[in-house]
Order: sequence, then C-alpha cells, then structure tokens
Amino acid sequence: MTRRTFWAFTVPSVFVMLVLMVVPLATTIWLSLNQLLLRDINNPTWVGLDNYSEVLSDPEFWASLRFTLLFVAVTVPSQMILGLGIALLLDKVVRGRAFYMAALLLPFIVTPVVGSLIYKDLFERGGLLSWLWELLTDEAFAVTASNVRWLIIIQAIWFVTPFAMITFFAGLQTLPTERSEAAAIDGAGYWRNLWHVILPHLRVLLLFVALISIMDAYRVFDSVFVWAGRRFTDAHSLQVYNVRVATDPNIGRLGKGFAIAVLNVIGIFVVLIPFLWRSYKDQIRERT
Amino acid sequence: MKKKSPLNRLGVHGSLLILVAWSILPFVWTFQTSIKFTRDVARKEPVLWGYETTSNAYNAFWLDDDEINMLHVLWFIVAFAILAALVGFIGRMIANGPGDKTLRNLALSVGAVGLVGLAFAAPRLADDELTTVNNRAILAFLALVVTLLVAGLVMMRTQGPPGGLANALRVLVLGAVIVALARVLQIHVSERDQWSMWETESSGWNAAGIVVAAIVFGLIPLMLAVAMLRARHQSWPYFTGVGIILGIGFWWFPRVFEVNDEFDFFINSIVVTVLTMIISISIGLLAGYGLARYTGISGAVILIVALGFRALPRTAFVLPYFFGAQRLGILDSRLVIVMALVAINQPFTIWMFRTFFMDVPKEMEEAAMMDGASRFQAFRKIIIPIMWPGIIATSLFTMLLAYNEFLFVRVLAPTNWTLPVAIVSLTGGESSRTITEAAAASVSITLPIVVVIILFQKHLVKGLGAGAVKG
Repeated sequence: MTRRTFWAFTVPSVFVMLVLMVVPLATTIWLSLNQLLLRDINNPTWVGLDNYSEVLSDPEFWASLRFTLLFVAVTVPSQMILGLGIALLLDKVVRGRAFYMAALLLPFIVTPVVGSLIYKDLFERGGLLSWLWELLTDEAFAVTASNVRWLIIIQAIWFVTPFAMITFFAGLQTLPTERSEAAAIDGAGYWRNLWHVILPHLRVLLLFVALISIMDAYRVFDSVFVWAGRRFTDAHSLQVYNVRVATDPNIGRLGKGFAIAVLNVIGIFVVLIPFLWRSYKDQIRERT
Repeated sequence: MKKKSPLNRLGVHGSLLILVAWSILPFVWTFQTSIKFTRDVARKEPVLWGYETTSNAYNAFWLDDDEINMLHVLWFIVAFAILAALVGFIGRMIANGPGDKTLRNLALSVGAVGLVGLAFAAPRLADDELTTVNNRAILAFLALVVTLLVAGLVMMRTQGPPGGLANALRVLVLGAVIVALARVLQIHVSERDQWSMWETESSGWNAAGIVVAAIVFGLIPLMLAVAMLRARHQSWPYFTGVGIILGIGFWWFPRVFEVNDEFDFFINSIVVTVLTMIISISIGLLAGYGLARYTGISGAVILIVALGFRALPRTAFVLPYFFGAQRLGILDSRLVIVMALVAINQPFTIWMFRTFFMDVPKEMEEAAMMDGASRFQAFRKIIIPIMWPGIIATSLFTMLLAYNEFLFVRVLAPTNWTLPVAIVSLTGGESSRTITEAAAASVSITLPIVVVIILFQKHLVKGLGAGAVKG
C-alpha cells in the first residue's frame, strides 16, 4: 500500500483524533495553568502553577488517591484470580456453556450505573442482603461511611470479573491439548499442569488483562458516583473528586479540575510508558 | 488421556451455578421488586409477597396516563412480533419448497404460540375499563393482521436478492398506503369533525394513531424476521429502510400513547447510540484497513498514540469538552455528546478493526486489483463482505459504550439526558420516587441491551477474544 492510499484511508480517523483528542488534551494542559471558575467561565486568568500546589496540599486529593490505589490493588488481583478460575471451570463444561457464559457476562454488559444501583439496593434497608443480615445479627445493615468503600470494591469485582473470564477463556481455547496430555503422561497433577503448562501459555493474556484492568480501575467513575455520591465524599475516587471539584455548582473550580486531570494523566502514564514502548518496538519489528 | 481435576463434574457445575447466582442475584431481586406492590420509601423491610397483576411501576416510569397500561403496549408488540415471525417462517418455507420439515414444524409451533398469544391478548384488549378504547383497539388489531398478511405476501413474491432496495421500497410504499387507508378509516370512525393527522397535541388514543403505531410496530419485527430468515448478507438499502421505519415509529409513539419525559431520554439514548455507531464504525473501518496494510513507520506511531489515548482518564477529555461546548453554545445538545463519544471510542475501534483486517489475507484484494479494480473498489467489494463478523463485534462494543456512557452525558448535558443519567437523577437524592418504580426503570433500561447481547453473544465473545489474543 502506498503512502498516499494509506493517508486517504486514515485521514478521517486521524482528523477526528487530532481535533477531538489532541486539541482537548492541549486545552486541559493550558487551562490547568489558569484560574477558571464555573460561574465565570469566559475569563481564564493566568496563575502559573498555583492550581497544582493547591491540589497537592488538598487533603481530599490525597484521600481520593488513597482510595483509588486501594481500589486498584484489590480489584485487579481479585478479578484476575476469579476470572481465571471461572475460565478454567467453563473450559471443563460443554453442555450449558452458552447459558453459563450469558449469565456470567451480564454484570459486564449492563449499564454500569444501573448495575451499581441494583447492587446497592441489595444492601439498602429493605434489600435482600440487608434483610438477611438483620435476620442473622438482629441489627439493621446500613451503608455507612466506614463500609461504603468495601461495598464499592465488592461490587466492582462483580462487574469486572467477566472481562478477565472471557479473555482467559478465549486464551484457553487456543491451548493445544497435546501439551497438557504430555504433561499428564509425565505424571503431572492438576496443579502442576496449571502452573507449568496453562499459565505460561496465558502469559501474554495475563499481562494484557492486568494492564487493561489497571487502566480501567484507575479511572473508575460510575459505580463510585452512585454509591458515594454526595453522601460519602471521602469515599470518592480520583475521577469523581476531579469532576466534583470542576463541575459541582457549589465548588466550580474548573481550573483546579484541569490541574487534577493533568495529574491523573501523569499518574497513569507512569504505569503505561514501559508498555507503550514495548508495543512500539513490537510494531516496528512487525514492519521490518 | 484426561486431565485430572480437583473437581468432578458435579463440582464443576455446582461451582458454576453458585457463580451464576452471584452474578445474576441483583438482576433477579430488582426484577421481582419491579412487579411488586410499591415498597415505600421508608423501606422498613422487604415485601416478600404481594405481586401486582399489572405492572404499574412500568406505567409510572414510561407512561403518563393511567388509562393506558404498559401491558397493552407490550401485548401489541409481542403479538406483532409473533405474527411477523409466523409470516416470515411461512415465507421462508414457501421459498424453500415444502420438503423443509424442520422449518414447517417451526412455523407451525410459532403459529400455535401466536394463536395462544392472540387469545391471551384479546381479552386484555377488551378490558372493561377500556371500553372507550376497546373498539379502536380491536379495529387497530384487525388492521394490523391484514397489514401483516399483505406485507408477508409482498415479501414472499419479491424476487431477486432479499433485502434489496426494491424490497425496502416496497415495504415503504406499503406502509404509506396503509397510513393513507388508516386516515380514511379514521375519518369514518372519529367522532371529532376536525382532526389533523399531524396534530401533535392530540390526546391519547385515537384510531388513526393506533393503526399507524400498529403498522409501525408490526413492520419492524416483520422486516427483521424476514430478513433474518432470508438473507445472509443484508444490504445497506435494507438497513436504511429499517432505519426510516424505526424513525417513524419513534416519532409516532409519543403521539399515540401519552408518555413521560423518560421517553425523550430514551429517544436521546437511541439517537446518540445509533449516530455514534454509524460514524465511529465508518471512519474506524477505513482507518483499520489502512493501518493493517500499510507498513510505514507513521502507521506504528498512530497506533501507539491511539493506545495511549485509550488509557487516559476520561476527565482529561470531558472537562475541555465542557469548556469548549460552553464557549460554542452547544452544551446540552446531542451533537456534542456524539462527537465526544466518537472521539473517545476511536482508538479502540481502529485497534479492533486492524486486528480483524490482519486476519484477511492480502492476496484477496491483490487478486481483484490485478483484474483492474482500484484499491477502494477491492476494499468495498471483496474485503467488506467478509468482514461482517468483525463489523458486528466492533459495533456491539461501540453500542455498549454509547448506550452505557454516564460521565460524558452527565457533564455535557445538564437537562438533555440519556437513560443512564436519567435513572440516576430520578432515583438518587431527595427526589426519590418509590423503589418499585426505580426497579422498573432499571429493568426497562437493561432489557434492550440484554436482548441485543443474547442475540449476538457469539460475536461479542469472538470480538473480546480477537482483541485480547493479539492485542
């Protein structure tokens, strides 16, 4: 394919990304250096790095960062272990596989805010789990500031696991059966087979799922918004905190919001750069 | 030789069933809440028994008028779908000749189900409380049956590639004829002397409205059923036809039934989702092909930059959009939401399409280009037809993204919401309506997506696999 044809094919997409992604990103960086209020949105005034120093000394920022890191640290490993377990189970069944798959995929495809709302309703007063809790302990279960973080994490595991499951399942389908059979002839038990044959085969996928889920967990918004909302502001994730600072009519500090967004971008890029570099080298190798 | 597993078959199925229970528990609980007597806001304890016979929570969410029951609407749609499927099956059977036993049995069983459904639906339509509406409803129903039969006949008689332009036109013309007929009928039926068909303030049920709605809601499933049965490759004119009819349907629906604001949010959701899908798939398809075939460095750079964009937190985009839209005065419009969604979805789309195109051997279009076709002709005539699985898979993910998006819509649309934002705004905070209604809303919002996913589950799984195994 010639360079000209290539650009003819790619120009619309590149144009969209240029205008609708590169330009906004540049705007973000520029406006993060300005004082900009929601009620006075047309008058940005240059303040240099003031927004950044204000964010970095804001205890709410650190609280939301801590919660986001906790969220990533718990949900990512849990979803990978659970997802792998379910994928191994699914690999065993033939009859009813489609049914299991559909049922297990549901939390992944349902609108995230609806998923959070209905999950939350189980724990609210009059919900099923709250009622069972009351039967067992004689105490009404209530969503409080101290347990809401863990409820958010539990629900997150519920809706992120299907992604890992389906990816690992697809990976297992490409595993040649001879290898496991050879291992079995050599006397390898189930766990040794899992450790020495299956996991190495899934190595690339494990990395891929870990990366995607770290990215997605880092920018969690919908579920935290539904659970914590205005009630439990100290259980806010970085994204919710960011949007609240920028667009809540009572706060409305857009400039500060832009600074938080830039810090968020820097945060994720620290994790991402080695991976991007690796993919870039892969791409170059593919082409030579 | 079998792998030894720590679990026997019972154990495997048992564990899977427990996991399934864990994953669907909230859905089941919400569904059963949605059909119960209203659980009051104080929520002392769950009402375990006491289901309503009709689902009033759904009415409260979607419809304004107590006189009209959501069940009636549902019965209309279900009955139409069954009839349409029946007609489609018969058409298929005739096309294939009488030897096709499976299809005949299928057609017979569907027909039986349809008849049972009709028998069940008829008394509901003739409910005592609805005597004023009764005659009109029955009239509408008869008109519908006639329509379906005629449409089915037309479909069966159509020669040439199924779902072609001719077919779509025929259906449209037929629809227009029936609308005109309904207009004539309505003049005879209506007690009012002056009534304009285009009157938007008309109240609730009236005969013409019902007939048109019936036709519209009947024709969609009909066309879908016929197309699914007869065509492997549907062509663009067919989709355009379906699109036009769907459009008319959504335009008419609020005029036939008195609906709540939620219906506007529903329309917003549909418009945003469909536009995002069309735009993002068409430009992504081209770019994905270019990126899969070009070997220069700039291709690699574009891919890596796109990958980086895919990872960025959404706030880095949503805030500048908010700022820009405010400046340009397009805040609260569907346009800005579609633009934003197309943009944030673009990196994912081009990666996914590229993966699919890499699987298509180069020789395919090279052979066509030897024969004198241009690159673009080869792309359109040779590559696109075998890319349908990839296009469907990518469209599904785009649909999920656009339909489910919350953050962008919430920030960019202060009032002109889509459904996810609507439900959070309606159920959260102090303006909380009853829990039952929230549950009904949740079910209503989830249902369309679940139906689509169940229909296309294979493509979804394949798409996730394709994206993952190579990405």
